[in-house]
Amino acid sequence: MENKCENLSLYMINELTALEKEEFERHLKTCTHCQHELESLQGLWQTLSYEVEEVDVPETLKADVMNFIFEENEAPQQEQKVKPTKKGFIDLIKLNFKKHFSPLSTAVAVVLVIGLVGLFWNNLQLKETITVLETKEADPSQIVSTHILKGQGLAASANGNAYLIQEGSTTNLVIELNNMPRTKDEEVYQVWLLKNGTRQNAGTLKPDQNGNGLITYRLPQSLSFDAIGITLELNPNNTQPQGQKVMGTS
Amino acid sequence: MAMKSKTDEELIGLIVQKHRPALEELYDRYAKLIYSFSYKIAKGDTDKTKEIVQHVFLRLWTTKSTYNPAKGQLANWLLTITRNIAIDLIRKEQKHNGTIPLELDDMLHIQGQQSEDVLQQVSRNLLKQQIQEAKRHLSEPQQRLINLLYWEGYSLSEIAEIEKKPLGTIKSRLHQTLKKLRNYFNEETGGVRHGK
Ligand SMILES: [Zn+2]
Repeated sequence: MENKCENLSLYMINELTALEKEEFERHLKTCTHCQHELESLQGLWQTLSYEVEEVDVPETLKADVMNFIFEENEAPQQEQKVKPTKKGFIDLIKLNFKKHFSPLSTAVAVVLVIGLVGLFWNNLQLKETITVLETKEADPSQIVSTHILKGQGLAASANGNAYLIQEGSTTNLVIELNNMPRTKDEEVYQVWLLKNGTRQNAGTLKPDQNGNGLITYRLPQSLSFDAIGITLELNPNNTQPQGQKVMGTS
Repeated sequence: MAMKSKTDEELIGLIVQKHRPALEELYDRYAKLIYSFSYKIAKGDTDKTKEIVQHVFLRLWTTKSTYNPAKGQLANWLLTITRNIAIDLIRKEQKHNGTIPLELDDMLHIQGQQSEDVLQQVSRNLLKQQIQEAKRHLSEPQQRLINLLYWEGYSLSEIAEIEKKPLGTIKSRLHQTLKKLRNYFNEETGGVRHGK
């Protein structure tokens, strides 16, 4: 670390003069310390924006915004076909957060970011969670407990974390999995909650092309569990596990 | 319906092509976030809040960048634009142009489709709690610094004047404050694992 490194915070908040900025950017190219610091501080800086109370948007605002754009600032209209690039989203989130935060908060951050961007995950449980949870004045949420999931059998290299998140009287289970082997055709991974030898189906998922998966499940009020198990099922609609167990809490 | 099924990335692509329904859909997804954020910066002035939101969406509409997902997620990007515009509008006289240059190209895209869901709310609450908790670890002057700098958009030399301290003191205070917050996020949130 040398003298030039000291300008990092000022660079991030854009308080350097043009000349200093240029110099620092030259320094940045060669200083890995500053490269890491900058990334991490920028992550922090952006995080600060989420310290915001949610406010109801006036219903007239949309019209005000659209009129402002299309009547006061007219622009030519044309349309073309666009070809989007698809990317594994969990990967991208991790790319963004892994360097900034420790492993647990990476996983939490994944959950956070997914929430923030409003990820539409293709599983029924999430849709249910959304409809059930639409409460206006949400109580502060908190992580009640975390559970580590380890892979076994054909998913021996897989790992994951489960979080119980309490919001008001509602408890959600959020499970994040990594390094899951790909599933074929109808195959799905199915999550089971175990209590005194009985199993409750807590949803199914298919990992993305990078082996990452995420599932949320709203816990019924009366339901508690001792352990979490995940099986590979040939049929997504099983009420009892038929396939082999591939992951579980230890 | 067609727009609803588009990803954010697709919407941005369509907006660049001047497709109005895409802009409206993006509004539906992010208006609450942008409005709430602007409202805080405008200190509850609803007229100013509206003005900020109008300019944010105008900026989105007039952006020339072709979309190329690289870094940074959409919500963060929108908030950065919003903060720049808000600070420019509210404190026009003190601010120089182009506070933080941002391009669509700098944005990392998340393949997401739905806007307001509850996870979102849960997440924001959780994140807000963490930020507030982190801020509790700061001294009074450090907390003031963050508020003046981040939420009110004052420059460091203006803050030095407000605080009646040499600029050098404010600079090193900034450095320490950022480090302290960052370390909190690194260590304390990681500690949840052991805290059960
Ligand atoms: Zn350096």
